[in-house]
Amino acid sequence: MNFSLATEDGGAPRNFATTRWSLILSSADLSSDDQRSRQALSELCRLYWRPIFSFVCRRGHSVEDAQDLTQDFFAMMLQGNWLRHADPNRGRFRSLLLKSLGNFLNDDADKRHARKRGGDVNFVSWDDWMAEAPSQLTVSAQALESWPAERLFDLRWAATVVEQALRRLREECESQGKLRAFEALRSCLGAEREDVSYPTLSQTLGVPEATVKRLVHRLRQRYRSLLRDEVAETVADPAEVDDEIRHLCSVLAAGESS
Amino acid sequence: MIPSGLSDSIASVIANPPPCPHCDSSSHVAGGLCVGCLLKAGLNPDDDCDPGALVSAFAEISLPDKNWRLGNYEILEEIGRGGMGVIYRARQRHSRRIVAVKRVLSYHSDSRETLARFRREAQAAASLDHPNILPIYEVSESDDGLPFFSMKFAPGGTLQQVAPALRTEPRQCVAIVAKIARAVQYAHSRGILHRDLKPGNILLDGRGEPLVSDFGLAKWLDATSDLTRTLTIFGTPGYIAPEQASASAADLKPTADIYSLGAILFDLLAGRPPFLGAHALSVIRQAAESPAPKLRSLSKLADRDLETICSRCLEREPTARYPSAHDLAEDLERWLEGRPIIARPVSMPVRVYRWAQRNPKLAGSIAASVALGTMAVFWQVEGRQLASTVRQDQLAARSMIVLPFLNLDTASADESIAVTIAQALQSDLTRFGPAHVVPVTQHGAEWAGTGNNGEIADANRETKARVVFTGTERVVGGKLRISVRLMNAATGDILFTSLIEADSVTSSVAALRRAITPSIHSIMTENNWSKIGPLSRDPGMRNPASREFIISGRQLLFRGTIEDFEASIQCLTKAIQLEPNSAIAHAYLSSTLSARVHFVPDQDLLRTAEKEAFESLRLEPNLPDGHRALAGLLLQKEEFAQVLEEQLRAIEAGGPEEVVERFTATTLIKLGEPNRALPWLERAQRGTTAPGRVYALIGDCWRLLNEYQKSEAAYHQAMALRPEDPDGLVGLCYLHLLQNNIAEARALFDQNRTRSKNYEQIFSDNSANEMVARVELLARNYSAAERLYSQLVENNPVDRNEYFGAMSYGSALGRIRQLMGNEAGGRSLLQECLARELISVNSKNPETLYRIAAVEASLGDGDAAIKHLQAAVAAGWIDFRSPGIDPRFDHLSGDSRFHEILSALTDKVLELRRRTGQPLEVAANGDLTSP
Repeated sequence: MNFSLATEDGGAPRNFATTRWSLILSSADLSSDDQRSRQALSELCRLYWRPIFSFVCRRGHSVEDAQDLTQDFFAMMLQGNWLRHADPNRGRFRSLLLKSLGNFLNDDADKRHARKRGGDVNFVSWDDWMAEAPSQLTVSAQALESWPAERLFDLRWAATVVEQALRRLREECESQGKLRAFEALRSCLGAEREDVSYPTLSQTLGVPEATVKRLVHRLRQRYRSLLRDEVAETVADPAEVDDEIRHLCSVLAAGESS
Repeated sequence: MIPSGLSDSIASVIANPPPCPHCDSSSHVAGGLCVGCLLKAGLNPDDDCDPGALVSAFAEISLPDKNWRLGNYEILEEIGRGGMGVIYRARQRHSRRIVAVKRVLSYHSDSRETLARFRREAQAAASLDHPNILPIYEVSESDDGLPFFSMKFAPGGTLQQVAPALRTEPRQCVAIVAKIARAVQYAHSRGILHRDLKPGNILLDGRGEPLVSDFGLAKWLDATSDLTRTLTIFGTPGYIAPEQASASAADLKPTADIYSLGAILFDLLAGRPPFLGAHALSVIRQAAESPAPKLRSLSKLADRDLETICSRCLEREPTARYPSAHDLAEDLERWLEGRPIIARPVSMPVRVYRWAQRNPKLAGSIAASVALGTMAVFWQVEGRQLASTVRQDQLAARSMIVLPFLNLDTASADESIAVTIAQALQSDLTRFGPAHVVPVTQHGAEWAGTGNNGEIADANRETKARVVFTGTERVVGGKLRISVRLMNAATGDILFTSLIEADSVTSSVAALRRAITPSIHSIMTENNWSKIGPLSRDPGMRNPASREFIISGRQLLFRGTIEDFEASIQCLTKAIQLEPNSAIAHAYLSSTLSARVHFVPDQDLLRTAEKEAFESLRLEPNLPDGHRALAGLLLQKEEFAQVLEEQLRAIEAGGPEEVVERFTATTLIKLGEPNRALPWLERAQRGTTAPGRVYALIGDCWRLLNEYQKSEAAYHQAMALRPEDPDGLVGLCYLHLLQNNIAEARALFDQNRTRSKNYEQIFSDNSANEMVARVELLARNYSAAERLYSQLVENNPVDRNEYFGAMSYGSALGRIRQLMGNEAGGRSLLQECLARELISVNSKNPETLYRIAAVEASLGDGDAAIKHLQAAVAAGWIDFRSPGIDPRFDHLSGDSRFHEILSALTDKVLELRRRTGQPLEVAANGDLTSP
């Protein structure tokens, strides 16, 4: 199995070839039943269950059915040879997942039922999912009511990427005993430079403004790295990271007010 | 309308959020950070930053996570974290006083609603001044604009922390809850509900005095601001009232807090809240759908009055709870002082009535849709960690549906006892671990007591339980006799049966619980049921060779020819040789022998059949097949009262099925109880294989009860459903004869001779031919009658017809010859008949006794005839019309004893009609008429 492909041809800065999605794809190429790729897929599912759940709910299923369907969908992916039936051109994890999910839901309801009864596999306890990654996403009521399921899926996806990066950054700070500093500085992460009140932060943190600026800069750098890591896990090629981020940005902004 | 599930995957929804000036997005994550901007921040990397670079940057600030300040307070440590705030232990700067400071979490700062809610909490709580309510000192805002408030620091921890130590101190528990109730009453009197009372919200000061905290979820009773309507419901599963999950915040009443107080008391005394579940949703659903468990089902030593007090608080119906916290406090104080409490246990009928009033399915779906949408809130609120896959599996394995019981006296469904037993089993089984007991009361009449696999599958469609529990009830010798049966829900196989006799429903349920709970528990925890239950246990069924013989023997038995019976007897005999202790083989052998005797009388075979039936029941006293075999054998012996008993025992052991139901009805008709037979026949109508037969029997019942219109309708139904069967036609014809409509009776058969394509089949049966002859006899058209009866006698060496008035062909012919002037010829025929009939003079068959009486009357022996007619009546003869039109009783027409018997019978029918609820009236001419 060729995990070092990306490093050889692209000289990607980080150990890109072992990101989850490329691992899954390489395993599927060889039609093998690789434990690591299964693990990687399972981890991705665990991270990105909310977009799937939102999508299923948006399609009009009851909460209970949506839970079951989400579980079934994961069971289908993890048990079956999901990728082998997927588009040979592959693409990004997000778009492939969405496409498969659409197919899955359009599948004959009876077949789906049979699979559920027969398999009866719970991918993971629902409560654990909730507890593992609490979400604090706020959206406009208009968006929630009027957006198509695909767009809600992408919105929820974008939020998951961002929240995951923030969570990791927070954990890094907490492990250094700098949680308070993180809480004080986190508001700078998305803000434009002119929106940051350096004097207030300087007062809260008890350091000169110059230090605050340096901290903000470092924190943003670190956040950017972590965010790109998250996105990279879901694309096959490092060059796609920027594209994927831009796509998600476009979903959030374009026509949101309509 | 927002699909409820979305509000889980999306924490909150805001009506008109301003779009971000930089990226036009209006979606935010924690802290009000714009999702779009956070994404954009990931674009265009200038350089990479590893964790090390961040660490060294942070090294420049000396702001550790401890000892920081918030307004006038020096934060010492975080002591709690709730749904929207964090609580610190802090020191007030100037007074040096230790306080608790509660502050909204910064990532909530984006939500105006949350901030408003937080301020409202502070406002509400600060206005309260009660020794058992945690005082608020100061409401303020921190430098970053986030509100916070300081309050008394309670060093004793929370009630949740000390609860395990309190468990053995019921008086202390009651005293604490009484104080909390007083405090809650005070808040209620100020128009403030708490809405989230739970042990974790009750703090204790240095002396152990309870202080109710967190009135933040309270709402102003008389305010209907928009702030009270949010997408989230408040409260902690396990302690919140069931209506809190479905009712809007504005509809909540103080009784919701009463429920929580009861749940706290329950938790303190029992060591757990009333409802547990794998997740929040399941807890809320249980609270909405099932009554709270009894305190003493979990804590045997608990005081009965405390159980009553808890139950009163935990009523699902808010109006059934204590009307106020004051009343609860009073009752708790009464208990502490040893005075009688005011609360009374709710009586069973009231419970059942209430239960029936609810629609659990609807309640469940409302709770589900509301609760799931807010589970993201619940998990944040600290609470017991109940999620465990093991627990869920156990629950699935220990799920049971309880079907209505079948009352064998009335053949009707009893739902209330099923509900009572379901409640009892739920609490009994919960003592051993998680269990889920669901009473199923829809289609009650249909599914009551059933042992039918298809019906079980229907009843279990929604719950998908592992086992089905049901049973029967009847009164035997003044005692209530209850049978219960536990079945494999997938196969219908019986896993366990038990019989209890007791003086009352209450004592029988109590006895039942003692007798069955351990067995049920062991069955439900057993993974392999292949050796459980009478069928699986039977050695004949476990041995493959004997099993083959038993199955073949049984199939042959139901084919019903003499040859098949012979073959069946051989198979079953071999099965018994292989496995002498097979109760089932003995039972089937007995049945086959009885069937054989039915066609060809043989007293020796009958004795063998009896021996086999008893052997079967000795080996397995509760085997339905054994009781059925015994019933069949007793039928041959015409012991109808015992037949009925064995039929009922077969139903007790295995549930009702159509054939048994029909035979039970037939037996009851024989015993002169058509009123009791009718409900059995109604049951037998559903899914029957022989609907025509059932309708003909219904016609017989109504005829005996003197309701000719209903009888006629039923016979017509029988004819329509089974045109090839003579039953309906013969019944209808006799109905005309009883009303002296000779012409119509005659026309009935003429019509059918010409029209019916089933003519041949109908007249292949003697009953049709006999009825044609009977029409002529009752029309006193003797020459035609003589011809017809002569043919019947010639064609039937065994003269055993028992139809309508129990007229043997020989006795009819003898009487006709007498009436035609051939007295000697008639007498000799009648004497032959009498000699034949007198063999069975000790019979308990009313028709046999009636036949004897009729022959004796024809022969002019009035005394003997009266004696045997009385015996027939004692055995169950109730037809008071037939003797009056039967020419064989002509000699008795002037005998006052004869008329007394008939008039007593008329009274008896009146009484039976009264019992059906459709009484008859006596008309001026003495006839009985329907009002």
